[in-house]
Amino acid sequence: MDSFRTLIPYLRLHRGQYVIGLIAVVIANSVNLLPYYFIRLTIDGLTGQVDGDPATTGIALGTAGLYALGIVAAALVAGGFMLLMRRMIVVASRQTEYEIRRDLFAHLQGLDKPYYDRARTGDLMNRLTGDLSAVREMLGFGAWQIVNIVSGFITAFSVMFSLSWQLTLIVLALVPVIVGVLTYLARQINVRHRLAQEQNSLIAAKAQENFSGARVVKGYAIENREIDDYRAMNLELLRRNIALTRVDGPLRSFMSLLLGLAFGLILLVGGRLILAPDSTFTVGMFVQFVGTLERLTFPMLMVGWITGVTQRGLASWLRLKEIFDSQALVRDEPGRTDPTLRTVRGDVTFENVTVRYGDKTVLNDVNLHIPAGTFLGITGPTGSGKTVLGQLLTRSMDPTGGRVLVDGHDVRVIPLRTLRDAVSVVPQEPFLFSDTIANNIGLGLDNRDLPPVLTGVSVVGAPPPDDIPQQPDPARVREAARLAGLTEDVDGFPQGFGTMLGERGVTLSGGQRQRTAIARALVREPRILLLDDSLSAVDTETERRILDGLREVSRGRTVILIAHRVSTLRHADQIVVLEDGRVTEQGSHDALLAQNGHYAQLERLQRLASDLDADETPSDEQAPRDLAAPLDPEAAADRLPAAPTPEQVNR
Amino acid sequence: MTRPDASDAFQKGFDTQLTRRILHYVRPYLPLVIGGVLLALLISLAAPVFALIQRHAIDAYLSPLALRTEPDLDLLRRGLTGAALLYMGLKVVEFALQYAFTLAIGYLGQNVLRDIRADVFGKLQRLPLSYFDQNPVGRLITRVTSDVDAINQFITGGLVSLIQSSFIIVVYVVIMLSVNWQLALISFTVLPVLFLATNYFRARLRDAFRETRTQQATVNSKLNENITGMLTVQLFGRERRSALDFNLSNRALLSANENSVKWFSLFMPVVAVLGQVAVALILYFAARQILGVDASGAVAGAITVGTLFAFVQLSQQLFQPIQDLADVFNNLQAAMASSERIFGVLDTEESITDKPDARSLTNFEGRVDFRNVWFAYDQTVTADTPDTDERWILRGIDLHIRPGESVALVGATGAGKTSVTALVSRFYDVQRGSVNVDGTDVRDLAQHDLRRHVGVVLQDVFLFAGTIESNLTLNNPDIPHERVIEACRYVGVHEYILSLEHGYQTEVRERGATLSTGQKQLLAFARALIQNPDILLVLDEATANVDTETELRIQQALKRVMQGRTSIIIAHRLSTIEHCDRIVVMRRGHIVEQGSHHQLLEKGGYYARLHRLQYAQADAAD
Ligand SMILES: Nc1ncnc2c1ncn2[C@@H]1O[C@H](COP(=O)(O)OP(=O)(O)OP(=O)(O)O)[C@@H](O)[C@H]1O
Ligand SMILES: Nc1ncnc2c1ncn2[C@@H]1O[C@H](COP(=O)(O)OP(=O)(O)OP(=O)(O)O)[C@@H](O)[C@H]1O
Ligand SMILES: [Mg+2]
Ligand SMILES: [Mg+2]
Repeated sequence: MDSFRTLIPYLRLHRGQYVIGLIAVVIANSVNLLPYYFIRLTIDGLTGQVDGDPATTGIALGTAGLYALGIVAAALVAGGFMLLMRRMIVVASRQTEYEIRRDLFAHLQGLDKPYYDRARTGDLMNRLTGDLSAVREMLGFGAWQIVNIVSGFITAFSVMFSLSWQLTLIVLALVPVIVGVLTYLARQINVRHRLAQEQNSLIAAKAQENFSGARVVKGYAIENREIDDYRAMNLELLRRNIALTRVDGPLRSFMSLLLGLAFGLILLVGGRLILAPDSTFTVGMFVQFVGTLERLTFPMLMVGWITGVTQRGLASWLRLKEIFDSQALVRDEPGRTDPTLRTVRGDVTFENVTVRYGDKTVLNDVNLHIPAGTFLGITGPTGSGKTVLGQLLTRSMDPTGGRVLVDGHDVRVIPLRTLRDAVSVVPQEPFLFSDTIANNIGLGLDNRDLPPVLTGVSVVGAPPPDDIPQQPDPARVREAARLAGLTEDVDGFPQGFGTMLGERGVTLSGGQRQRTAIARALVREPRILLLDDSLSAVDTETERRILDGLREVSRGRTVILIAHRVSTLRHADQIVVLEDGRVTEQGSHDALLAQNGHYAQLERLQRLASDLDADETPSDEQAPRDLAAPLDPEAAADRLPAAPTPEQVNR
Repeated sequence: MTRPDASDAFQKGFDTQLTRRILHYVRPYLPLVIGGVLLALLISLAAPVFALIQRHAIDAYLSPLALRTEPDLDLLRRGLTGAALLYMGLKVVEFALQYAFTLAIGYLGQNVLRDIRADVFGKLQRLPLSYFDQNPVGRLITRVTSDVDAINQFITGGLVSLIQSSFIIVVYVVIMLSVNWQLALISFTVLPVLFLATNYFRARLRDAFRETRTQQATVNSKLNENITGMLTVQLFGRERRSALDFNLSNRALLSANENSVKWFSLFMPVVAVLGQVAVALILYFAARQILGVDASGAVAGAITVGTLFAFVQLSQQLFQPIQDLADVFNNLQAAMASSERIFGVLDTEESITDKPDARSLTNFEGRVDFRNVWFAYDQTVTADTPDTDERWILRGIDLHIRPGESVALVGATGAGKTSVTALVSRFYDVQRGSVNVDGTDVRDLAQHDLRRHVGVVLQDVFLFAGTIESNLTLNNPDIPHERVIEACRYVGVHEYILSLEHGYQTEVRERGATLSTGQKQLLAFARALIQNPDILLVLDEATANVDTETELRIQQALKRVMQGRTSIIIAHRLSTIEHCDRIVVMRRGHIVEQGSHHQLLEKGGYYARLHRLQYAQADAAD
């Protein structure tokens, strides 16, 4: 129930609809009892007519006709109110579903990298679809059925009580049984539904990964293993679903059983009442009593059903709440964020920056100053923290210790929008959307003046949303593509910039994808440009062209370039070597060469490879010998199974 | 941001062909089905008995007619007790039947769901890569989730209540007719109206329902893409635009839903009112008969009060299954639409299949021959498409690789290097010419065999959620742990893995989110070695994001690995490939030059220029 309380804000948005709808339910329920009243009057009249006893009042056919008309009239009124109820409550539940989905989406947009590092797409999708509909069912049918049941019971019981208190007591005696069984089953359903939904999430995530990793699955021919896995997971789902059915299934039939027992008892006791010598209990009253009780059949069955629906709904709502409850660490915070900061010059300082994941230190007391408009190169071994350093600048996450300053302001003070408008990133593994190339390049354009989608408000009365202009300025897109050395490729495609990309850009070559990402960053004309190993997939010639283009546009901008190749870095104003999360060397290309440290070694190694040819020496182990390899690859290589030689195979 | 999903649109209504295929999935569970149908039959037979018992009790023991003739109260009471006990006993039986029925149907539905899922998933494993290039993952997921669910619904909810409702209707009609045919006919007069109304609403509801499904699919695929690309959306400040765009679809879904509520909310009251009209008719005509009979002094008891009461109940109970049938038809519509899409997947031509007499590779040397290969990803391109068409990706590739030779592919980005390697694994089929492995056209080989012998390190690393070890072994239980460690030592990632808290059992997040790009690449490299491609090794930019020291170390180690293995290596860093036996330079789908490093340098062509560029850049400092 506690979890229900958190849903109340959403219900409150549609208070009016729910109130009207629920009143309509009560009215419809009361009016619905009228037909049996008319039936009773008719039957009593008829029995009076036929029993030959002049003391009992008889009935004329015309009166019976009036009663019949009364039944139809009552049905029409009740039907009208039912219609009203559905238009109010069921529509409200759909609207709430929309609102929750809208708000979840907005919430997801505010979550940060640490959250998405943990999240699984398939699981999130399952929550946003399956769980959301379970909640909606609870709100729609659940809400009106609960009132339906309560008001149905109250009206029916008062009628029944007025007819015969003895019989009513018999029926009431069943209530504790109902409550007991329901409570037990409800708990079971809640638990088992959650288990089933968790398995559903796992399966969805499995499918998601298998489909997105199709190249690996096929490349290593592991399809059969994948199929076996998937089957096993589905078998488990079957078990859990059957377990759910075991407790979910008997609910309905159990209610019908209880009701049947009540009918039997009433027949037994009620019959005796009629047969009692001077009874005031007539057959007509008996029929009305049974008929009224029968009106409760549906609500009773619904009690079972609704227990299932609410339990599932609540369990699912908890799973949605988990999303709502996850807070981004990185966000604008009133009081801390300074909304007056609108522009950025591009002066970046890292001050005693430390980043830890668990007990693993990834960046260790990094101090770095990048004056506005300068070009910084970063290099360092794999896993030394280069990417993490870049992510601090865009506030994809916050450092564990120390500060990152832009123009002297802690980035945590700068509004996220301002910061991210000013910094453009070419991520190491760019994500492209399945959209046209032009739209992908224009991804960061013209987003500034758009109105927000309001959250936490009712959709009732909201004007239909306007279409949003989609086309980015083609001239700017083209210019950015030129700078990124992409024009030639794109012009070679039959549809040019209108070419649709596959998901994540799979229909492009690796280098084309990377250059699209470069163009996407350049087109925003950012104050600070961050390229994370962004030339790794392009050939030397193209790299040269891009670097030239970059120099052309980067005048006055701060450029941070992460790279492994000295040839890429050499023109930087300042080069930083990161090793194991520490800045170990810092200075210009020449200064670093003079230092004769890691960078100089790097330069030597890379040049050496070229020199080998200049010396006309056949490529042998000379170069790698230089590597004081701590883990002696040759020893390892000796143990690794060498491939059978062709001769061996041919035997 | 997502393109409209044309295949999610609905085209067809009821289709016997489709139904037959759905039923095909039910066949293995025939005993369950028969049991379920029997149970349903019993339940529907039991249903009207209760009203009849009440009628009997009223007429025989309670009605004044019975009271009038010298009532033996004891006898009446005893009769009453008997009737009541019978009533309750039958209820208990009905409960047992109902529960058994629910379980049987649940079991049936879950099994069918599992079977269909397994089929669709298995089919998707056999479909070629081009299928995955064209279909967003979100759409494929829908196939194995909500579409399969719709069929499950149809079988458990639809098909079963179709059978049950039909039974009940027949049983009730027969009983009502036999109890009193005049009253029965009178109450049936409402039925034609009910049928018309139901039909009318069914059509409206179906259209509304289709619309909601289409909108739901759009919403889902947008969600999927936004979730996977959320960090990019945030970096580029696109949240608002995405939110607006999503809101548009979300609102459209809401409108579609509201529209179906509109029709449904009309439908239910209309049915209820019609039910009460039937009751009123029964009441009036029964009263007329009872009164008329008495007035004329004709045979009394043609209609008793008990009969009147039973009819009121029976007619109302008859309405329920008729309404249920309306639901069934809606279920059926949904199932038709979903099954159409599912069978659409199942029927997709597997353009890359094993020939029936596919040869398995037992005796693999590692010879690879490209014979005048013309290839395009666009499947509308055929062998007859003119050479000048710009959709061709590879244009007449002739490349012969000897067993044990190491060949490097270089060339500008987009030249077609990755495409060449994709053809060796037969991810795609060529339009002209042939790709041969050991002299056999790859189209004549069993795909699994072929790929098991080829180890590929892809340009884009893909890691699965799981552990580091499971990513390396790909869940193959036969791979010993030592082998995993050896390979990781080899590529120099072993120490890093050990530094993690759980070592090889460290959890890997979706797509390896918590690893650095270079680390992922190293893992992918190790994976390829662990999978032990006995002959052919394909490295596509396998060390592009790795630092120079590690790269050199790997190269050093590679020399040994490559002994006796054929290898194809793609790299932009020329230093990575200089030691290869042969270097092949590609440009726009052509091979422009090939030879050893020195030959190519001497030749002074494209490669020499590339080399000069890199060399010059590195050397300019001196
Ligand atoms: N799955 C695909 N569907 C359609 N077109 C594709 C697909 N993959 C690649 N292409 C296109 O084929 C051409 C060659 O791509 P390929 O990946 O073979 O290039 P590459 O030489 O490997 O380039 P890079 O060095 O950038 O990786 C490119 O123009 C690319 O757009
Ligand atoms: N979200 C995370 N959770 C835990 N560890 C992380 C996370 N992100 C990065 N790391 C770890 O931090 C270290 C630094 O990672 P980073 O991506 O910055 O390396 P890098 O210098 O960019 O390397 P590369 O050259 O391979 O790209 C790595 O050991 C990595 O495993
Ligand atoms: Mg990195
Ligand atoms: Mg490639």
